[in-house]
Amino acid sequence: MNEAGEPSTHPKPTVLVPVAVRGEASLPDGTAALLANARVVVAGYYEVPEQTATEQAREQFGESAKTTLRELAATLADVGATVETRLVFTHEAATTIDRIVYEHDCLAVLVANHVERVDDVLLAVRGLVGLEQNAALVAGLFADRGVDVTVYHGRDADEPAADARGVVTETEWALRERGMKASTIETVIEQTNEPVAAIARQAADHDVVVMGETNPSVTTVVFGMPADRVAERFEGPVLVVQRPRPET
Amino acid sequence: MDPPESPDSARPLDARGVPTDAEHDVDPLVTAAAVDADTGEGELERTIGLGGALAIGVGTMVGAGIFVFPGLAAARAGPAASLSFAIGAGVALLVALPTAELATAMPHSGGGYVYVSRALGTGVGAVVGLGLWLGLVFASAFYLVGLGSYAGQVLVELGVSLSVRPAIPLGVAFGVALTALSLFGTENTATLQNAIVVLLVGILALFLTYGSLDALGVFGTETTPERFFPPGGALAVVQTAAFVFTSYLGFAQIATVAGDVESPERTLPLAMVGSVVTVGGLYVVAIFVATSAFGSARLGTFGETAMVEVARAFVGLPGAVAIVAAGLLATVSSANASILSASRMVYAVSRDGLVPETAARINRRYGTPHVALGLAGVPIVALTATGRVGLLAEVASVLHLVTYGLTCVALIRFRRERPGWYDPSFRCPAGVVVAGGGALASFGLVGFMQPASIAVGGGVMAAAYGWYRAYATDVDLEGERT
Repeated sequence: MNEAGEPSTHPKPTVLVPVAVRGEASLPDGTAALLANARVVVAGYYEVPEQTATEQAREQFGESAKTTLRELAATLADVGATVETRLVFTHEAATTIDRIVYEHDCLAVLVANHVERVDDVLLAVRGLVGLEQNAALVAGLFADRGVDVTVYHGRDADEPAADARGVVTETEWALRERGMKASTIETVIEQTNEPVAAIARQAADHDVVVMGETNPSVTTVVFGMPADRVAERFEGPVLVVQRPRPET
Repeated sequence: MDPPESPDSARPLDARGVPTDAEHDVDPLVTAAAVDADTGEGELERTIGLGGALAIGVGTMVGAGIFVFPGLAAARAGPAASLSFAIGAGVALLVALPTAELATAMPHSGGGYVYVSRALGTGVGAVVGLGLWLGLVFASAFYLVGLGSYAGQVLVELGVSLSVRPAIPLGVAFGVALTALSLFGTENTATLQNAIVVLLVGILALFLTYGSLDALGVFGTETTPERFFPPGGALAVVQTAAFVFTSYLGFAQIATVAGDVESPERTLPLAMVGSVVTVGGLYVVAIFVATSAFGSARLGTFGETAMVEVARAFVGLPGAVAIVAAGLLATVSSANASILSASRMVYAVSRDGLVPETAARINRRYGTPHVALGLAGVPIVALTATGRVGLLAEVASVLHLVTYGLTCVALIRFRRERPGWYDPSFRCPAGVVVAGGGALASFGLVGFMQPASIAVGGGVMAAAYGWYRAYATDVDLEGERT
């Protein structure tokens, strides 16, 4: 819902929130507010080592894990998000999350972290790939909420300045096309050889980071790839925009 | 969003065997096609592909046939031990196809136990379930003695001389270590295991190709083959087939992870047949190479580590080192796989209420079934300490072969009775004929074991039945959908 309490007119982007449901599971503070205008897929995974049959774990923990997920879903639904939950017992969490991202056609995966309020969003773009997804996610989540967006592009020495300008201009245009006010959008181009560090540095002045996945597979991104490293330094929530999956 | 049933009401019986709600359309364990679907308590991820399934089968089996048996088998059957291994492969193949069909219909931990208990009732099921648990315990102990022999060989190669034979204490130490690792290890070792199997098969293929060419005279003098058949004739060959059958106790392990396998209707039969054919081929060639390098009698004196001497004869010290390393990897892999399988058997019988529910509890901190792993690890270590390689191997084989035979009977029963829920996605071609042959071959091979092994195996099964009479007579599994 927007500030006036009206339902948003923007289509809700689908965001996957992976949750490890072993033991106590909770979402960091502010997660619900961040995703108020999203279709949220809560992907609960219970990872067991190979010594343990997944059906064995399901038998013992299935019911309580389901309850945990239901409670998490309720906190998200309370602020207006549309919520679906999945619960999977698995030996490989990465495989599971990757599959669910694909099955639900998720636009982004949230690397959750606590956030007090969402006023400033950093959208880090690498190029024109994923432009539509980036714009759909940011506009969908934040267009009605008086949030400021910084479109950031770190260019390396080899990239012509005109190309870099093209990337941020096209992105800004795509955001405005989706209803973001021009006054809320700022653009930054910076020359850097260390994109991760640069994004994390920029992020310090923002509440949320939106960035693309580096590899078509989410497994590498969610588990130890640039987005994760940004999340570690930034200590705030990072939305990892997914590339469209190849048809299988 | 809420599931309509709690797990207790969906289960046919609770741990004490008290029947609960009989009308359950949604089981926590559902039929093959939908086993990974959300049934109210969550989905199960399928993470094992064909490569992984083959690695489980080959990894469990290859330890014994190449790295423990060649010397022992050649001492009994001479070059015809090749034939003994081929007979074993034939029996395993007859059982593999029916097992694959049953596994796609009932893809649950417990494999043969699940099929037999549903087809032939709780009493037979208990004998098979508890028998398989202990069968795997015997098999693990056997692999551990083999592992100890190879670890001891490392000391020998290093020039350390010991007054006692180090195989048994080392085997015991490895048994304790592997059990502890399985209790507390949360690292994902599947990739490592697959790599080990590929490396092993690679080393063996190279070594056996070289050895075969050499034996055939490509590199110089052709070795004069000794008389193919042993003095004991065909009987000795079949007895040896029974003795070395432990080398094939891995293909059915693939069935126990049927619920984790992608495209089970294709993966399960391919992996089971493929792993038997792979290791069977390696075994037959290994015996040919080994008996060409040395006479059978001499080979026999080398005992468990005969292959090391064969490699030394061909390529000197580097060959010996390579085979010692491969032997360590192979026996570790076999022992580890069997410990885990034994723990899953405990889970399977506990799920059905044949043993107390506590046995299947998962430790929250480590996510591992600590009681079941203990029930596997402790008897394994105790049996390893006996060091009776031949007896351990044969008892393991007796217990497995009885299960294999009964699994084939289970297939015939399901084919005839066609319960509504029995809907395998893979159907064994000429199922009843193959299963009939598998049953006859399995039971038949038991008859060629040493009397002592049959007696111990029989004793274990009698004790299992006794436990059923004392603890679980009110559990009825016959015809129960899984």
